[in-house]
Amino acid sequence: MRQAAALLALVVATVGTLGLDYGLGQLAFVATWAIAGLGLVIILGQSGQISLGHGAFLAVGAYLQAGWVALGGPPLLGLAVAIAGGALLGVLASLPGRRLGGLAFGMSTLAVALIVEEALVRFDGLTGGASGLSVPALTLAGWAVVDPLTQFAVSATALALALLVCRRLLNSRLGRAWRAVRDDEGAAEASGIDTAHAKGLAFAVGGALGALAGALYAHWLGYLSPEQFGLHVSFEMLMLVFVGGASRLMGAIWGAVVIVALPQAIALLRDVLPAGVANMAGLELVAFGLVLVAVVLWRPAGLVR
Amino acid sequence: MILQILLSGIATGCIYGLVALSFVLVYKATEAVSFMQGELLMVGAFAAVALTAAAGWPAWLAVAVAVAGMALAGALVERLALRRAMGQPHLTAVLLTFGLGLMLRGGVTTVPAATHSAHQLALPGLSGQVQLGSLTVSFAHLGVIAATVLTCAALAAFFRLSRAGLALRACSENPRIAAMMGVSTSGMHTLAWALGAALAALAGILMAPVTFVHPAMGVVALKAFPAAVIGGMHSLPGALAGGVFIGVAEALAGRYLPEGANHVTAYVLMLLALLCFPRGLFAGRSA
Repeated sequence: MRQAAALLALVVATVGTLGLDYGLGQLAFVATWAIAGLGLVIILGQSGQISLGHGAFLAVGAYLQAGWVALGGPPLLGLAVAIAGGALLGVLASLPGRRLGGLAFGMSTLAVALIVEEALVRFDGLTGGASGLSVPALTLAGWAVVDPLTQFAVSATALALALLVCRRLLNSRLGRAWRAVRDDEGAAEASGIDTAHAKGLAFAVGGALGALAGALYAHWLGYLSPEQFGLHVSFEMLMLVFVGGASRLMGAIWGAVVIVALPQAIALLRDVLPAGVANMAGLELVAFGLVLVAVVLWRPAGLVR
Repeated sequence: MILQILLSGIATGCIYGLVALSFVLVYKATEAVSFMQGELLMVGAFAAVALTAAAGWPAWLAVAVAVAGMALAGALVERLALRRAMGQPHLTAVLLTFGLGLMLRGGVTTVPAATHSAHQLALPGLSGQVQLGSLTVSFAHLGVIAATVLTCAALAAFFRLSRAGLALRACSENPRIAAMMGVSTSGMHTLAWALGAALAALAGILMAPVTFVHPAMGVVALKAFPAAVIGGMHSLPGALAGGVFIGVAEALAGRYLPEGANHVTAYVLMLLALLCFPRGLFAGRSA
């Protein structure tokens, strides 16, 4: 209840300060990032695996959706295709987890992400390569979702559905298996849990949610290029989960708020600073890095335990 | 032809190997997964460029001062920031080092002179090339290989013969027992970061005559992860061997495989290594 009230207050405050259209547009991005964040909360917070390449799932979802729509497929079915593609990539990315644990497995997810990014640049006949690809607006039942209000509504609905599904999963046998793997993989194995299967499903869910977010993101932005989903995004996702708290699903939403608000705050900062400093090229990188370092140093174990 | 490819592959591989070495050194001693080795490399190269081009110092002095300065910077960063991530999950150090790396890259980008023109570091004796039959040997490549061999010899001597080197090895092996034997483990963490930063800076300086010096040159460190993984994550000689292996494999893939394949060679090899040899190709008695 308190969470719902806080969310409502957030929506009102955002629209109040940023104006209706701009505010809702930003909230649509918050909801979209939060969907992807939910996926990483499942992987990292519930099943305890490090994913250093979450950006790859967003990339696969975005490009599948863009390709599907470009071929004339119905967009809603495209979302299903994107989700299936993300889940498949998740299962593939989890395969090394059958033999590896901990950091080595994390490294393998990094390798998968870097290979996906390179593939998107190379297969430029399909993806437009490094020069990018434009994506038409999402149409649902003959009605184009172009204005911020409906974009926010679509993203928020998808987020609510994703939250419901995740909540059901966490209370199921599978959710208990994830937490058992996280807390002690050996003990989980000894209790008859198929740990490889549990990890694989965690990545399937995480990949599916990442791809769904990527597909929506592609429509809201209207333009795709491989570098939008590089290492930087994977780390933004990790930061999102770290800030919001990996142990609870709602953490994804609060983390997404921070991730979307941060560039806005940096843009505001540019207006306040003297022109000589504000026009410096690397200011964004420095500010982003500074916030990340400050947050980690302030609470090395994550903001919410 | 094949010799030519091998030579340039080995030279590139030595760079990968040095960065992997710096990564493994830090990881073994402090369990921190560093995502800032590439930025340390870049800052080291820029420091050398600034000292030679802007301050007009002789090249070798500038290199020595840049490497020493980066060692100091590494120690300082460990004392001020990375110490807080000790004993936390891997994610904490990953995010912390990534953030510090962003700050370093952004900081260098704010200097107009650094971004507006491409810089080349001219090290005397490393320009030009020599023709051996059909083989063209560039001194820059030879210099990289020679410097890597010398550095490794110095490191081996340090780890085997000096008290601090032995203490660092003991601390990597088992910090609790090392502490009981009177080794200052926190001092060793600082030392590991200083050495790691110095090695990364050296790799950047060696890279400079081959490629240009620019703020994004740190991406080369992404190839250090495959090298470290192939070497087994815990072995210093393994990291170097892994780096050379990746460098040669990339050079061969660039020649014999379809265009673009060489960009993913390192990551594919890393996945294969993780799947087939989870403890590293060179997991011998050290593992």
